[in-house]
Amino acid sequence: MSIKKSDIEHLCNLSKLNLDEEEKSLFLNQMKSILEMIQELEEVDTGDIVPMAHPLQMSQRLREDEITESNERNKYQKNTDSAEDGFYKVPKVID
Amino acid sequence: MSWETVIGLEIHVQLNTNSKIFSGASTSYGSEQNTNTSLVDLGYPGVLPVLNKDAVMMAIKFGLAIDAEISRRSIFARKNYFYPDLPKGYQISQYELPIVQGGSLEIKLNDGTKKVIGITRAHLEEDAGKSIHDKFNNETAIDLNRAGTPLLEIVSEPDIRSAEEASSYMQQIHQLVRYLKISDGNMQEGSFRCDANVSVRPSGQAEFGTRAEVKNINSFRFVENAINYEVERQIERLENGNEIIQETRLYDPDKDETRPMRSKEEANDYRYFPDPDLLPLEIDQETIDKIKNLLPELFEEKVIRYTEDLKIKPNDAEEIAKNMQIAEYFEATLDHFDNDPQLVTNWILSEVIGVLNRENIEINAFQIEPTQLASLLSRIEDNTISSKIAKNLFNQLLTSDETVDQMIKQQGLEQITDEGSINEYVAEVLNEFSDQKDQYLAGKEQVLGFLVGQVMKRTQGKANPKMVNELIINQIKK
Amino acid sequence: MKRHTVKELQNMLADQSISSEEIHQIYLNRIKSMNDSINAFISIESDEISLSSEQKNSEIKGIPYALKDIFCSEGDKTTCGSKMLANFVSPYDATVVRNLREKGTVILGKTNMDEFAMGSSNETSFYGNVLNPWDEERTPGGSSGGSAAAVAAGMAPIALGTDTGGSIRQPAALTGITGLKPTYGRCSRFGMIAFASSLDQAGILSISAEDAAIFLEHMAGYDQKDSTSSIEEVPKYTEFLNNDLTGKVVGLPREFFDGSLDSKYQTLVTESIHEYEKMGVQFKDISLPNIKYSVPTYYVVAPAECSSNLARYDGVRFGHRSSEGTDLDSFYKQTRKEGFGPEVKRRIITGTYVLSAGYYDAYYLKAQKVRQLINQDFLNAFEEVDVIMGPTTQQSAFKLGDKLDDPVSMYMNDIYTISSNLSGVPAISHPIGFVDNLPFGLQVIAPHFMEHDLLNIVHQYQMSTDWHLQTPNLCREFD
Ligand SMILES: [Mg+2]
Ligand SMILES: [Zn+2]
Repeated sequence: MSIKKSDIEHLCNLSKLNLDEEEKSLFLNQMKSILEMIQELEEVDTGDIVPMAHPLQMSQRLREDEITESNERNKYQKNTDSAEDGFYKVPKVID
Repeated sequence: MSWETVIGLEIHVQLNTNSKIFSGASTSYGSEQNTNTSLVDLGYPGVLPVLNKDAVMMAIKFGLAIDAEISRRSIFARKNYFYPDLPKGYQISQYELPIVQGGSLEIKLNDGTKKVIGITRAHLEEDAGKSIHDKFNNETAIDLNRAGTPLLEIVSEPDIRSAEEASSYMQQIHQLVRYLKISDGNMQEGSFRCDANVSVRPSGQAEFGTRAEVKNINSFRFVENAINYEVERQIERLENGNEIIQETRLYDPDKDETRPMRSKEEANDYRYFPDPDLLPLEIDQETIDKIKNLLPELFEEKVIRYTEDLKIKPNDAEEIAKNMQIAEYFEATLDHFDNDPQLVTNWILSEVIGVLNRENIEINAFQIEPTQLASLLSRIEDNTISSKIAKNLFNQLLTSDETVDQMIKQQGLEQITDEGSINEYVAEVLNEFSDQKDQYLAGKEQVLGFLVGQVMKRTQGKANPKMVNELIINQIKK
Repeated sequence: MKRHTVKELQNMLADQSISSEEIHQIYLNRIKSMNDSINAFISIESDEISLSSEQKNSEIKGIPYALKDIFCSEGDKTTCGSKMLANFVSPYDATVVRNLREKGTVILGKTNMDEFAMGSSNETSFYGNVLNPWDEERTPGGSSGGSAAAVAAGMAPIALGTDTGGSIRQPAALTGITGLKPTYGRCSRFGMIAFASSLDQAGILSISAEDAAIFLEHMAGYDQKDSTSSIEEVPKYTEFLNNDLTGKVVGLPREFFDGSLDSKYQTLVTESIHEYEKMGVQFKDISLPNIKYSVPTYYVVAPAECSSNLARYDGVRFGHRSSEGTDLDSFYKQTRKEGFGPEVKRRIITGTYVLSAGYYDAYYLKAQKVRQLINQDFLNAFEEVDVIMGPTTQQSAFKLGDKLDDPVSMYMNDIYTISSNLSGVPAISHPIGFVDNLPFGLQVIAPHFMEHDLLNIVHQYQMSTDWHLQTPNLCREFD
């Protein structure tokens, strides 16, 4: 399972990142050694071990179905200068 | 070659909670853009989701109604993809362990045959926001009010074999969620939407053909149209020696066609994994039992009760039960007047539904309270008023706050049932229309109607028509 | 003034020898004169402090603290060490910040950190690296390097940090202070910008364990806004500090003492063990057989979660927005290219890889299973011993730039600290001496929710030693 430059490009596409050519080859080498380290896990016998997703044995607590939030649009849109007319904006999307 | 169509439907139902599935923002429809968006809905740095209890209860309710298994432990996962109406870059959904697994629904087709459609699963997830493409020139506008609205995604088995079956299944799910009161099912507002996985295969072949997923179907008619279009397209491709590409297509109701979705072109790899911000959802038997006890009577049970216990004509019973709100109105009327359920049925199916259609309103906006309809019908039944007057009063009730009894009293509409006074009117009429009296005696019985009408006219419709009938015949034959 | 502990400040406030406004001003002055060289703070909250009357009269009222810039604080710039959030002003308070605010504490400023807490040397910060107050050519560690340097240099009496794989304990060890990572879920994560959600935990960097006990009590507790926060009751930590240690059983995992630690550090560890023995503590050799897989496990789980957590930075609602990109795809890619630094990008790519189709089972699911085994190792060990001890790091502060090009060797820095995050258990690092004038730390690990035990143990050590009171030379200028 050796990683290739095209894999890096595919991963960049999935994670929406642009990388320079230089960065790509640097990352490719670094990824190789990271994956080599990670591959150590293969030697562990994990037969019927239950995967651990959370450190604590707890179950989900539920919220009452109540409206607790009010309209704070103006306050929240202060963190972008590209909102207009209350809308957020992105370059034109064609479905 | 003959082809068989294979369809599986994924129906997205918005659950009618007050607040969102993971935040305390309102789910109300039609608010000004981005005013129902909390920090959680906006995917702000640092904020965390907390699950809405009612959304969970509604999912369980649905599961019990389709005889599914309620998972004692279910898991929320992240479905990762970038899209502007998905603020966090992932949708919280359920993947490996959904809350509802394995159920079924019996559908009824136009020719009266019945078929059971398997339901693979139903899972809870959050809705996305809306992209509006025609608001700005070179930009797409994003409104995140809908983001985080709870959805129940109901996934059928690939058991559906025709557009008609698909539509019937969709209608039945629609009826069910409304019966369960877990969704308003409003399709114009997007509360009930459907994606169809459509493929074709040569008849007799066991393995499935390559499927296309058709998105954006929001009416019963569109589901038929979209499937018919897609089936034709696929068969044509195959018969011309082309392959079917597995892809996501969009149904365009204006052009009545499906086309590939550009934004979904690249094969998606959603990288599902358990959401570390949410813990396993555990549901105990006690909760399940409690919800089971609160399940309302569903369509089939209602129809049986209406026909067997209330002796309503089968077609009428189905007609009433089809819409749960109407059934509720019907039953509320019966609470105050249970002497003649068929009479109530007749009035609802003709008069009440007539008004709803004419005014294009739902029953909950209908002006006449069930108690008033009940008292109107009991006044017919106890002969206080005639049906004709009742219809007149019914129309008045649409715009008046007065009760039926007040109106009868004030307008002096009580039916005349006193034999003596009716006989006086009859005598008068027979006197004036002696020609008609003779014709009757000569065997022309049709004139009876005319004579009755004359008596009714003189009593302003208040005389009991049945008595008028009898008394006229009595006097003529004397 | 050299440095003051929270406890000392409390006493001064109590006997009215100083006012809270004066304390605040002293620290602000100190930050202003030192920050240019140390670069511990990204922003300084120099607004007039207003201790409003609605604030409860708590035992920490008027105590100022430094806040890692990963915590959202209302109305303040909150950058997370990234260009991506360079102009982000939080409209809300993190729960831990709110908890402390309600008790009348004051934020001095937001401290520097590795970008999105990804790093062990503070060199990935968009705002420049932090210098170690003990040696300005060296790193203070990371990712809570700014908080650690601020406390070590006396720019703040105490600071909040976060610890995902050692980000409180390692910088505490490298700057000669005390660093506590509580149990996962002990403090709310709400308002703490997520790196790896199942590992992140807020904690404290302080001069003494006693100070950590004083603050933790007010920070910790169940938060209905964080589903993963614990409902376990918060004890009064200060009441446990003076418990006698006689009979405590401490496990020394053979995997932490496998000879790989340089002898000059091993000597310090051995001396600290002797010190503890004098207090009646018994030591026992134990084994944590799967602990050697901690680093690879962590470097699957943490990048996976971060790749998803950082997807929200898309330039649309907040954060950096590229002016390039005419279509949606290039807009996203360019925004994220410009906004994130190389370490963050590398981890996003790694995380995307281990979650992607075909690799999920081999990497992510496998790592989650090994994580379970590591957790089991701890649970088994705690059947036999009360706490576990070992070095916090393999070496004292290293030179800036030393490990920058070699991520794997940088990642190995966290070899002793990562396992507590994987298992969720609490752990504390405290200074136990110096090698070549650089501080070195000992780590103590306890079972879930036994922070009071950790604080008790370290406090007892600090009552009979003064390593934690040593101050870097540059502090003395202020005497
Ligand atoms: Mg779907
Ligand atoms: Zn869905």
